[in-house]
Amino acid sequence: MELRKQTAVLAGKATGMLSRLTGRGGGTTLPGDVARAIDPKILTRLAGDLTRGSIVITGTNGKTTTSRLITWLLEGAGHRVVSNRAGANLIFGVTAAALGHAGSDGKLHADWGVFEIDEASLPKAVEEIQPKATVVLNLFRDQLDRYGELESIAKKIESALASGPGSAILNADDPRVAEIGLGLPRKPVWIGIDDDAIASHTLPHAADARTCPHDGATLIFERVYVGHDGVYRCPHGDFARPAPEVCATQIELRGFDSLAMTVNQTRIEMPLGGLYNCYNVLAAYTAARSVGLEDEYIARRLKSFQAAFGRQERIEFRGRHLVLVLSKNPAGFNETVRTAIELAHGTQFIVGLNDRKADGTDVSWIWDVDFEQLQGRATTVIPAGNRAYDLAVRLKYAGVKAEEPQTDPGEALDALIKSTVEGDTAYLLCTYTAMLDLRAELVRRGWAQPYWET
Amino acid sequence: MGAAILGNMMMSAQTFTIGWLYPDLMNIYGDRGNILTLQKRAEWRGLDAKIREIQRGTVDDLEDVDVFFFGGGQDREQALIYDDLKAYKQEHLQKAVSAGAQVLAVCGGYQLLGHYYQTADGERYDGIGLIDVTTQAGKKRFIGDVVVQTDIPGLSPSTLVGFENHSGRTFLGPSARPLGKVLHGKGNNGSDGTEGVIQNNVTGTYLHGSLLPKNPQLADHLIGEALKRRGDGALSALDDSAELAAHGWILQRVRRR
Repeated sequence: MELRKQTAVLAGKATGMLSRLTGRGGGTTLPGDVARAIDPKILTRLAGDLTRGSIVITGTNGKTTTSRLITWLLEGAGHRVVSNRAGANLIFGVTAAALGHAGSDGKLHADWGVFEIDEASLPKAVEEIQPKATVVLNLFRDQLDRYGELESIAKKIESALASGPGSAILNADDPRVAEIGLGLPRKPVWIGIDDDAIASHTLPHAADARTCPHDGATLIFERVYVGHDGVYRCPHGDFARPAPEVCATQIELRGFDSLAMTVNQTRIEMPLGGLYNCYNVLAAYTAARSVGLEDEYIARRLKSFQAAFGRQERIEFRGRHLVLVLSKNPAGFNETVRTAIELAHGTQFIVGLNDRKADGTDVSWIWDVDFEQLQGRATTVIPAGNRAYDLAVRLKYAGVKAEEPQTDPGEALDALIKSTVEGDTAYLLCTYTAMLDLRAELVRRGWAQPYWET
Repeated sequence: MGAAILGNMMMSAQTFTIGWLYPDLMNIYGDRGNILTLQKRAEWRGLDAKIREIQRGTVDDLEDVDVFFFGGGQDREQALIYDDLKAYKQEHLQKAVSAGAQVLAVCGGYQLLGHYYQTADGERYDGIGLIDVTTQAGKKRFIGDVVVQTDIPGLSPSTLVGFENHSGRTFLGPSARPLGKVLHGKGNNGSDGTEGVIQNNVTGTYLHGSLLPKNPQLADHLIGEALKRRGDGALSALDDSAELAAHGWILQRVRRR
């Protein structure tokens, strides 16, 4: 079996190298494909080489940032960490990441695996990796053409947690995640936010989990933080938000620049913006504590964190400050628009929408995004991406005055130069491949590094 | 400012009511676009557009509604409104439609207005029978762009574009006629080339996208037909270049394939 494992590792690694050499990108999943064909159990074997074990992270929004935060914390404490940084979060991507760190002896020389896992792939990932901890961040509607309904995803996560080993770190503020956790044989670690000052009291239109799982009654939300995440209860008393053990309070938000919050007596301040990131930091803090890292160290280390590709990444472009913010679904988009407008006071935007497989081929969801927030506040909005024309219509009906739609990324950037001056800050809110396209154009023009090198 | 608009502002504006059935539960993926399109296009004609959210529970009547919208839901949510629709809404809805109100139903809403939905195991869930259609569960999901040639008189463009994502196979009975002929995609059932239904003021369809933003001519048709009860239903022309550019982009892409 060792020989088979070694062959699989070497073949996988060679594939990754070829993929890079021939300019086919970072080789983030293909090596996994090749190695799994040779040894279907390769991921389990490699995960078994880890001296400490694995932590997996799932949920609709925040997986990449949370994985990076946990990795950052572990590495700073001297641990060797394997993770799927590039966001290749299907089982092949995870396998490829593990292969990338394996030596020529076919062994994975690392202490921890930190893997972000696509929601639908969680059962398989948990079975193969046998993680020490599983984090579930949230469950929002996302790409129905690809994932199917929220309910089927929730059931998959539930089955993975019910049968998997280790602890579950769950967001108590998300009613659908709470429903999963309350049905588990072992008590999960509940995390949540308690801060009335930053809460709203009405649900956004695109909220999904708004009814009681037991009697179907409409839930009462006392606080709404992000999407349908908040403090809620059934009017008949048979379902309510579980009390969080690890709780974020006294939250301060400064645009996309930084946030501060108190988690169980520890003040955390870090260069990452937006209320949605409070959940990611809270989850990372809880995971780090569960493996023995200390409060004082966590707070110190988080101060110097750097964001992942397209997650509040900053690029200088001909004197303009670009802030790239990935926005993939209604819940995510509502938060990035809200943060850009209300907290960062942004006025200049490129909004990018593609309809490739990774973005979702159905663009109907843009009508669930509250672009109305831009009305009267944004001075320049350039609709971009191959579905720029759909965005232009959405913006029109939101009462937002938009520029001409630009389906070509180069022309979108040129349009931005035309309507801004040096020193301006522009926010690029884009779906996954729309962001890749704009970023590739910035790389081509010499303003950014290819993402697999960052 | 045009004289017509000024005139409308000086008189108290005529009310135009959009009745949104179960907005919290039957709102899958962007159906709000249909509501916003009806609302804005009525407002741009000087009408005082109101959205009446019709939730679960009893209602006194639905007679004030000009256009109803009934969207799709996820299975869990659809199960929550199933009994409510029959118990509290069916009768009022039938009355309003007979009095000339228009209905646009998409996907799950479309299926529930028919006679029944039959699952793969042969179990039948009765709809409210407002339209002469039946639906059976199919094995393969139809997912992708759709282009339909509609035969609604006077509609320009005569194509409708949208995105379908459904496993139901809907078949029309003798009293129903299709919304149009499928030029690209699957439509009602993938076999008879029809898409959607028009019957007695009810328009049913599988088209998301959202449907009305990229098909403003259909939105205006619904508004105009509903207004016929109170006048000639004629609507002033609007600048639809953005909407038609998005419509045209889909037509072009489908042609390239």
